Amino acid sequence: MRFPTVTSPHTERPNSVTWTMLWVIIALVPGSIAMIWYFGWGILINMLLASLVAVAGEAAVLKLRSRPVMPAVGDLSAVVTALLFALAVPPLLPWWLTVLGVGFAIIVVKHMYGGIGYNPFNPAMAGYVLLLISYPVEMTAWLPPRMINEQVLGLGQTLSVIFTGTLPAGLDWDAITMATPLDTMRTQLDLNIMISEIRLSPLWGDFGGMGWEWVGNWFLLGGLFLLYKRVISWHIPVAMLVVLLSIAMLFHALDQETHPFGLFHIFSGGTLLGAFFIATDPVSACTTRKGQLIYGACIGVLIFVIRTWGGYPDAVAFAVLLMNMAAPTIDYYTQPRVFGHGP
Amino acid sequence: MHYPSTHKTTHRLHRFHGGLHLPDNKAQSTGRPVRQALVPELLILPLQQHIGAIAKPLVSAGDHVLKGQMIAAPQGLISAPVHAASSGVVVGIEDRPIPHPSGLSAPCILIRTDGEDRWCELPEPIGDVNAINPDTLRARIRDAGIVGMGGAAFPTSVKVNPGREQPIDTLVINGAECEPYITCDDMLMRERAGRVVAGVAVLRQLVEAEKCLIGIEDNKPDAIAAMTQAVKDIGLDQTTVVTIPTHYPSGGEKQLIKVLTGLEVPSEGIPARIGIVCHNVGTAAAVADAVLEGKPLISRLLTLTGQGIAEPCNLEVLVGTPVSELIRRAGGYTNAASRLILGGPMMGFTLPDDQVPVTKASNCLLVAGVGEAPDPGPAAPCIRCGECAKVCPANLLPQQMYWYARAKDLEKVQEYNLFDCIECGCCSHVCPSHIPLVQYYRYAKQESWALDLEKHKSEHARHRHEARQERLARLEAEKKARLKKKKAALKKKPTAAGTSADPKKAAIDAALKRAAEKKAQLAEKGVKPENTQQLTEAQQRQVDAADARRKAARPAEPPADAAAVETEQQDG
Amino acid sequence: MTDNPYVRVIKDGLWTNNQALVALLGLCPLLAVTNSAVNGLGLGIATTLVLTLSNGTVSLIRNLVRSEVRLPVFVIVIASFVTAVELSMNAWFHELYKILGIFIPLIVTNCAIIGRAEAYASKHSLGRSLLDGLAMGIGFTLVLVTLGALRELVGLGTLFDQAHLMFGEAARGLKFSLGEDFRGMLLAILPPGAFIGLGFLIAIKNLIDKRLARRQTAGVTEPLEESAQAGAA
Repeated sequence: MRFPTVTSPHTERPNSVTWTMLWVIIALVPGSIAMIWYFGWGILINMLLASLVAVAGEAAVLKLRSRPVMPAVGDLSAVVTALLFALAVPPLLPWWLTVLGVGFAIIVVKHMYGGIGYNPFNPAMAGYVLLLISYPVEMTAWLPPRMINEQVLGLGQTLSVIFTGTLPAGLDWDAITMATPLDTMRTQLDLNIMISEIRLSPLWGDFGGMGWEWVGNWFLLGGLFLLYKRVISWHIPVAMLVVLLSIAMLFHALDQETHPFGLFHIFSGGTLLGAFFIATDPVSACTTRKGQLIYGACIGVLIFVIRTWGGYPDAVAFAVLLMNMAAPTIDYYTQPRVFGHGP
Repeated sequence: MHYPSTHKTTHRLHRFHGGLHLPDNKAQSTGRPVRQALVPELLILPLQQHIGAIAKPLVSAGDHVLKGQMIAAPQGLISAPVHAASSGVVVGIEDRPIPHPSGLSAPCILIRTDGEDRWCELPEPIGDVNAINPDTLRARIRDAGIVGMGGAAFPTSVKVNPGREQPIDTLVINGAECEPYITCDDMLMRERAGRVVAGVAVLRQLVEAEKCLIGIEDNKPDAIAAMTQAVKDIGLDQTTVVTIPTHYPSGGEKQLIKVLTGLEVPSEGIPARIGIVCHNVGTAAAVADAVLEGKPLISRLLTLTGQGIAEPCNLEVLVGTPVSELIRRAGGYTNAASRLILGGPMMGFTLPDDQVPVTKASNCLLVAGVGEAPDPGPAAPCIRCGECAKVCPANLLPQQMYWYARAKDLEKVQEYNLFDCIECGCCSHVCPSHIPLVQYYRYAKQESWALDLEKHKSEHARHRHEARQERLARLEAEKKARLKKKKAALKKKPTAAGTSADPKKAAIDAALKRAAEKKAQLAEKGVKPENTQQLTEAQQRQVDAADARRKAARPAEPPADAAAVETEQQDG
Repeated sequence: MTDNPYVRVIKDGLWTNNQALVALLGLCPLLAVTNSAVNGLGLGIATTLVLTLSNGTVSLIRNLVRSEVRLPVFVIVIASFVTAVELSMNAWFHELYKILGIFIPLIVTNCAIIGRAEAYASKHSLGRSLLDGLAMGIGFTLVLVTLGALRELVGLGTLFDQAHLMFGEAARGLKFSLGEDFRGMLLAILPPGAFIGLGFLIAIKNLIDKRLARRQTAGVTEPLEESAQAGAA
């Protein structure tokens, strides 16, 4: 009797890329729902549009490269990129910017370097940064959270704003949009307003911006779920959050009026989403354990530096991209001690 | 599953990095007691079932052989003989498919059995091991053809001879059997613990180890109980049966040593360097058979298991029995049979068909069903998730090694310690992209070896060439110097004695020179394995002749003048 | 393929050995000034002028200069022409001169120019050297203009804006615009846009070359190569 020749191991494999990506998508659910709740339908529309563009773009490039389409699209990595991108951009972003950003992320950042596994940069963050640099006005026009928003847009109105750019009658952009809490904090600090004064505004919650801090909480929950499922390891998020928190607390202790307190940094902007979902992107991050600690810590430092002294309100994307560049070098110098080798 | 330990052990255990907790799938094949496999009609005995030089056949087609008769002799130090597993007639010595990942054929001795299963005359059993010379014991083990039965098949006689400069402190006996499905060591310890412990005593005597640790995973409580009892019965001092956690690959030699002693075998070194020798329980039993009963290694325990086999069980099989015969003995295939695997699921390899024989190192035939080993689909690109590094028992970075192995950057793979990889398969098992990582490392190792050999060869050739040039130049210079001195001597002492001595002297010189030259040549060629036997013999004869001439010449040497003596000394 | 050396010189300069796309020389001015087509054209013409004149001069003095001192001499020759060009631009194209600023004097350090002087002009006759300088210069200019146009179009939605700085008031009509509503992509105008744009140009050139090569070896089946776009990275 004859049998097929197959390479070892002859086991049922416990992991697959598709499942890894699926767990990430599932872990994003609570945070996404929170964002949709606080910031309206725009978030959901962006998520769907971005996913559609990402999958279509990936399929098209694979076709051009004469590669099998299904296995690569089926791994869901393009969807994860799209979702992370959509959760990072403002809810009323014009549709063509979403298409441009996701298209750049998938086609240029991911596939021109060889597709999944070969991209040195995190595609979602590269697409986000492309838009942030090119279209700063659109990219900083956020909505106020539901509790303090007097002009909550319906689904139809949101669709119309995103796809045609026409606002409901009697409204203009300035009336419905506002800067993110991080952005507000920055601009007001630049105007020499003290933090105690800044925080008098109803925009603020307990730690960060109203609404934002709860979004952060739900992403934190998703992140803990990923840790529990062992999809990610604790090294990068813990190093990143601990370092960011310590530096922020140190500066806050030095000057309480010009440096917001530590937890503000954790619960504002993309810190928690970044710590658990973006910085942990395995392809572009460090792969050794020690390297991951350094990588996470450096991202924490960069976030604080760029937020405090840089030119852009949030810094997670820049910090992650900068450390993506350093990852191979860090990996090289942090190889573990191999069994049977001296210390 | 948790098994209550049958006795309290105070031995302190250690951990190694990584590893996996796999479903052990051992219960299927331990339900039935070990049965005897039948003598097959045709025995196929590969000449190389061990690491080292291939054995040299002692029989030819048509010879009648008896059970236990040596039919192929070891060649060189690291080699092992082959014995007839049953009586019958040699029908040929030819290339047959052997159980090897390559699926290639290799020379085998084919024996048509006569069904009588008649033993040959066996050597005397050795009753008192202590009273016998260790070298005699080692010779017995070597003649019995015993090799490491855990899978590596390294000749045991070499391993029990660590040498004087490396005193052995601990003998480690490997009963871990960490790979899923395999239960032959478990059954051996359950049913023949006395035999195993007797073998352990012999091995310990040979390596002069102070103490002995027998490591068994905690999923084999019956084996642990039986072994503990046997150690007590035989009364071995300083010998502990240690229950270790079930954790793949704790049965790997280096991993087991680490778990039991906390010591790490140095990279590219052997355990003897840290005062440890490690043997498998199967090897110990075979040593007991050889020493205490004089029986050579012609049979072993083999696990037949998997959803593709009707009656999973352990069989005592004759080495050389075709796989198909054994499957029949275990009830044949079921409809689920989809893969035929020799070895366990992690490190075993598939056999393309069931006509190959089992060898001394075969421990398991796993006929996997579709559900047990589903096709993982094509490999996807590595996403550098690091799962592989997390489980690597050698603490390597498999993802980086894969990257460089794929790029065929052999230097870089070696920089990432390719040769510390034990090919346990943990990385391939957990890889979410289903990349056959271990295959890449095997490939890189093979390529590195090939490259090294090539380098070695060319370097060797260069050295030879340089040495030859140097020698020719030296001889030329010497010739000139001699000529000069001769002239000077002639001028100085144009006496009759001088002229009569010189021709003789010249002849001696010539002979000495030839001898030295040949000797040098021989020494050079001697290290080169490709050298043909013929040439070496011819050279040897010439050298011998030259030596003889020199011996003959020396006493006849005249009390020559100073110049001549000086010349000779220079030559010598 | 043609055997005429002059044709080959032209082909080399414009395509096969294009200084910007193949030799990747003179990238500093290339990346810095190509934020509009007109800027690119201005610097391109200035570079071509200097390249042609310096090639000619180097060719003339090639047998007079000892090889130990040739590089300093070449640099002096180039610097002289650059100064002449700079002063001329200052006089006649003052606005453009102000925009291009430091990059005009920096032509001296453009590796492409010293590279051609050393690699070609110092070994060939006057006629060929002049032609080589011209061809290389035009090849370089074409890339500058293309990249400038690309970045201007994507970044600002215009083309040949400010052409009057170069061609006089009549050229104002040359300006082409995608309309006031076009929201330009700022990144294209910023330095990273230059790198990304040049990457795309190189990729396109490689793609065309590969197509041509495939057409020439028609009938011979080639193995499917990894995408040429990888170069764009």
